[in-house]
Amino acid sequence: MNHLSFPRPQPSEIGERLRAEVREFIDGWQGNRHGAAAFSGFDPEFSKALGERGWIGMGFPKCYGGGGYGLAERLVVLEELLAVRAPVFAHAVAERQSGPLLLRFGNEQQREKTLPRIAAGTCYFCIGLSEPDSGSDLASVRTRATKVDGGWRVNGAKIWTSSAHRTHYMILLCRTAPASEVRQAGLSQFLVDMKTPGVTCRPIVNIAGDDDFNEVHFQDVFLSDDALIGVEGQGWQQVTSELTFERSGPDRFMSHMGAVEEFVTALKQQPSADGARTVGRMVAHLSTLRRMSRSIADMITEEQDAALHAALLKDLGTCFEQEIPETLRLVLPTEPEPGASDGYSAALANVILHAPSCTIRGGTKEVLRGMVAKSLGLR
Amino acid sequence: MSQETRDMLHEAALRIFADKPQDLWVVLQESGFDKALLPENKGGAGVSWADACGLLSLAGEHAAAVPLAEALFGHWLLGHAGVEGASMPTIASSMHSEQIRVGISRDGKRVDGTLRRVPWGGTCTHVAFIVGSGTAAQLIVLARDAAGISITSGRNLAGEPRDTLVLEGVVPQAVVPAPFDARELLCLSAILRSALMAGAIERSLALAVEYANLRVQFGRPIGKFQAVQQNIAFLATQAAAARAAAEAGSEAIDEWLDGVGEPLSQSIAAASAKIRTGEAAGQACAIAHQVFGAIGFTEEHELHHFTKRLWSWRDECGNEAFWSRELGERILADASGQSLWRTVVPVATSARDAEAGAAQ
Repeated sequence: MNHLSFPRPQPSEIGERLRAEVREFIDGWQGNRHGAAAFSGFDPEFSKALGERGWIGMGFPKCYGGGGYGLAERLVVLEELLAVRAPVFAHAVAERQSGPLLLRFGNEQQREKTLPRIAAGTCYFCIGLSEPDSGSDLASVRTRATKVDGGWRVNGAKIWTSSAHRTHYMILLCRTAPASEVRQAGLSQFLVDMKTPGVTCRPIVNIAGDDDFNEVHFQDVFLSDDALIGVEGQGWQQVTSELTFERSGPDRFMSHMGAVEEFVTALKQQPSADGARTVGRMVAHLSTLRRMSRSIADMITEEQDAALHAALLKDLGTCFEQEIPETLRLVLPTEPEPGASDGYSAALANVILHAPSCTIRGGTKEVLRGMVAKSLGLR
Repeated sequence: MSQETRDMLHEAALRIFADKPQDLWVVLQESGFDKALLPENKGGAGVSWADACGLLSLAGEHAAAVPLAEALFGHWLLGHAGVEGASMPTIASSMHSEQIRVGISRDGKRVDGTLRRVPWGGTCTHVAFIVGSGTAAQLIVLARDAAGISITSGRNLAGEPRDTLVLEGVVPQAVVPAPFDARELLCLSAILRSALMAGAIERSLALAVEYANLRVQFGRPIGKFQAVQQNIAFLATQAAAARAAAEAGSEAIDEWLDGVGEPLSQSIAAASAKIRTGEAAGQACAIAHQVFGAIGFTEEHELHHFTKRLWSWRDECGNEAFWSRELGERILADASGQSLWRTVVPVATSARDAEAGAAQ
């Protein structure tokens, strides 16, 4: 046993009952199905339907529209949705990390304004962390909030901001005091309404052809005092707890399940020992990752610091999903083509083009390994 | 067993392993660790299989050159067969046990065939194994010194005995209906190996960290170099995954034998244990040796006690390819037309199923 061991996850009877309900709901969903896409679609109608069933903000207290569930139940719903590539992207960030962040650090007005709508599936968030000159070195952010009468004036730019053009709020990390000896000091988080004057979005197209990325500019944006989240200067510590949510969920190892399903369907037509081995190995990895993810959920529930466990799991999970197209293509050869009528070829094309982002978004594997190395006593 | 008793047992075992006594096996036997799986009224400690696997991880962490896995399992099987007084039973979980024939002679039953690469087969007092499948499976116990057994010594990479026993008309000490079939015996043995491996992988990580902080090159400890840090951090991810997979496998044994979980032959957690630890073992050995450089490549250095065991154990009781294929074929055989996901994550219909589901 060492400090990076993962405790045995507790079974959740309620979660297993939910699993059947979620499957029934998914099977009956008549709306748009996102097909082979590696990343889930953005579909407010679907988000709203989930909200109506109480499957967003499941862990929020009931006074904020939540279901009073635990994280283990939330994981069941999330993995069932990811398994069928359900279009959860609209509410995913709010549900996963912004809501929990506001619940923990936000003021009462911020919570009342956002949490019930997040839980209803009608309020979406983006994350303002990376900047053109600050990626892995997040403490170097230069977007600046200057204290003015009654609030703050923000200037700067964020980049790689997913869905910024169609979300309602951003959780913005910026400098509120000049960089000092302690680089992580002097950072604060703000709740920013994306309609605030001076906030502009410019789309960026990624290599897969998606235009979900944005560059977000802040030009003399005025934020009132009550936009500050938590404590001024505590932004870094708050972000760290937020990243534990961002890094520990099944979205870090199930992004490519669509391609795996297509592969299995094709494999059943032309079985091989190699194919069976590949399926068995992937399932072994998947079941181990699921266990570790649930273990972290239990740790968070028990208010243990799971930041390192989450970093370790994200590294493991994203390396696993990134490797999936490399494995599949050699077992069942095809020429990958986006949108091909052959589901396997289309899915493979999709995951090949998205795979590079797995080990970058949410913290590069190098940064994560640096954290793990430090915790082991290296450096 | 209470958590307190469990912790005490763990602490006691840890002390013994850390002391490295010359006669480690005798000390372990005197303390009753070899019989820990037997119920208390039969001289054991009544530990669960998960607890037993925890002890095995400790043994792996200390590269203990003792047949603890075999004795734990062996005593349990002998208890099932009603054979008493055995001081050092082993098990033969060979993947070729179908070559064993059980017949009838004038003296009663006789056993013929070959048991390959039996751990401590030449020095054990008894060997237990299972032949046949389904309800026809039989548990057989032989006394090692019975007439008709000829032994050819063999060793694994770490020098642990893996002896081949040729049986000619051997009169067995017991033949009883088996509690499970030969394939499940193999699976159970594979999980015990996984527990040993998880421990040895964790130790190879600890050794690598320690050395990287001590060894100075280019004017600083090599652990200051990012290239080295990245490799060791990757090793840590493999150690954590191996531990999680081994623990899930060990819990699957308890749930199965307690009648609350699925059969071991149907359990994803059971097959995954050896797949995941086996893969982690290869990665761990490669990185640990790279960190240690030339000194780790010497006989004198302790690293090889761990890496040689890992390189051996990953190929014993079925390697990653064997269990991956087994698991994959089982999953692909599902003819319900449902997705892979729903095949591997069935909806639990009871609290017991939920328990099994959580253990995966």
